[in-house]
Amino acid sequence: MISSAPTAAAATAPRRPVPWSKLAWVTQRQRRGAIIGTSVLLGVFAVYLLIMAIVQNNAYAAVTACHPAAALKCQQLAQAFSSHYWGGGGRVISSGGAQTVSSLLFAVPVLLGAFVGAPLLAREFESGTFRFAWTQGAGRTRWAVSTLVLPAVLLTAVTGAFTGLFYWYFRPFLADGQVSEMLPLAFALLGVAFAAWTLFAFAVAAFTGTLFRRTLPAMAVTLIVYIVLAIGTATAIRPHYETPVTAHGWNSTAGGGWVISSWVKAPDGHVLSQGDLNTLSQHLPASVQNSPSQDAFTNWLTQHGYTMWQSVQPDSRFWQFQLIEGGWLLVVSAVLIAGTVWLVRRRGA
Amino acid sequence: MNVIETNGLGRRYRRTWALHDCTLAIPGGHIVALVGPNGAGKTTLLTMAVGLTRPTRGTVTVLGGEPAGSPDALDRIAFVAQDAPLYRNLPVTDMLHVARNLNRRWDQRYAQDRLDRLGIPPRQKVGELSGGQKAQLALTIALSRRPSLLVLDEPLAALDPVARDDFLTSVVDAAQGEGISVVLSSHVLAELERVATYLVVLTHGEIRVAGTVRELIGSHGAGLEEIALRYLRAGVPSSSRTEGAAS
Repeated sequence: MISSAPTAAAATAPRRPVPWSKLAWVTQRQRRGAIIGTSVLLGVFAVYLLIMAIVQNNAYAAVTACHPAAALKCQQLAQAFSSHYWGGGGRVISSGGAQTVSSLLFAVPVLLGAFVGAPLLAREFESGTFRFAWTQGAGRTRWAVSTLVLPAVLLTAVTGAFTGLFYWYFRPFLADGQVSEMLPLAFALLGVAFAAWTLFAFAVAAFTGTLFRRTLPAMAVTLIVYIVLAIGTATAIRPHYETPVTAHGWNSTAGGGWVISSWVKAPDGHVLSQGDLNTLSQHLPASVQNSPSQDAFTNWLTQHGYTMWQSVQPDSRFWQFQLIEGGWLLVVSAVLIAGTVWLVRRRGA
Repeated sequence: MNVIETNGLGRRYRRTWALHDCTLAIPGGHIVALVGPNGAGKTTLLTMAVGLTRPTRGTVTVLGGEPAGSPDALDRIAFVAQDAPLYRNLPVTDMLHVARNLNRRWDQRYAQDRLDRLGIPPRQKVGELSGGQKAQLALTIALSRRPSLLVLDEPLAALDPVARDDFLTSVVDAAQGEGISVVLSSHVLAELERVATYLVVLTHGEIRVAGTVRELIGSHGAGLEEIALRYLRAGVPSSSRTEGAAS
């Protein structure tokens, strides 16, 4: 018969669960591939940003040092700076320019999130190893929490640090007033947004990977969900975090900000539709229609009693908006990660 | 103490019952052969006993009343699933370290000694081991947890005859030397005949016979193989027999 020794030992030894540090070791060992992949992807970008930041900040120092700023020489210098570094301008090392680099970085959160998050549990199902992992002494709940939380925290920390580097690189364009930090192009790469969107992509990928038990479908669904939500947020949700400021004139962005919409009011106070504006522009005097200046039309409108309006989210709301967006992304991610643990607890073999 | 005790245990997958109304009490100290054709419900029964699958109906307790899948049960039961799933991309040493860090009870010296004796290279990746080596590694990990109950689902299916014999010898040594109760499943009784001291026959999701080998042979006056065959044949329920005849 079986000896009674194990029973006695179990009764006398207080039952302490397997410590988190041990589970963390297991998680980091199993995620070595993801750790290397993430390091390579962010590392390549980081080296590029680092080199370009030094070059760019030096070039920009020359622009700011030029006096008087209104002089033709200084204007040309500023223009050359922005065409080289923002638009690309054909130089080999910056052929993309900050505009292109920013759009490439847009894809990083979803790539990282899907790449790290989708296989976490899906691979365990695909290879059958969940039958091993879930029958060890630690129990499946602790195992799942460690498997999910450690990569989530690391990914958020690393992408957060990466944002710091990006700030340094991007500083001249923000200081220049060339780019408002509220513009969707910049907003998602600054503040806490970059890290928060990465965490969100990770959570979606981990959840769908557990739901489908397959890595590739989880990655595909994550990509779709992410694109839809990222575009939807920038166009339909973010503009409404707070009521936009309505400003008279079309040049109110001089103070910085993100123009949500703009419209023209007729002298009698009604708002012109796009059709009205088209009709109006076709009946302008030839001198205005043929004028090379873009301001000719707006000048003409002003002279004839029309008024121009904009609704704007000013730059001063940047951190408020960052915290709102970071906050709800964090909540959604936490719910998805908790949901993943719940799926693991619930699921049978 | 009963190592596995079930009461009216049932598990349904969509419309079919993989296991139906199973009441069973397997006493400790045995090497139990769980025998039945493919699809009889062996894996379903075992995965419920180790807490991987929840019952649709009934109850299952282990090691003298612990609920299956409870922390104490997980601590004291080592389970090796079919095809011995392990992390293929890890070297053997790291695989051991993973298992060590996932358990409260772990005997590292035993694990290392056993792998040395078996000649399994510690730096080799798990995915590059032979079938026999992989099964032995899974068994080593299971035994290093110092379990009270060892549950092996179709452990021999993927092994060649020599590896089978070696594996079974290892299991018997562990059972006798360390006082571990063992449950092995197989669809071929001949494989387990020489080691089993307790027999459970399962067909079509229902228990046909369960008892110690000695009692069964005593009461039937036949060899174990013949007894099992008799129950496997007789175990076809009337409903599926007519279905079988129709098809």
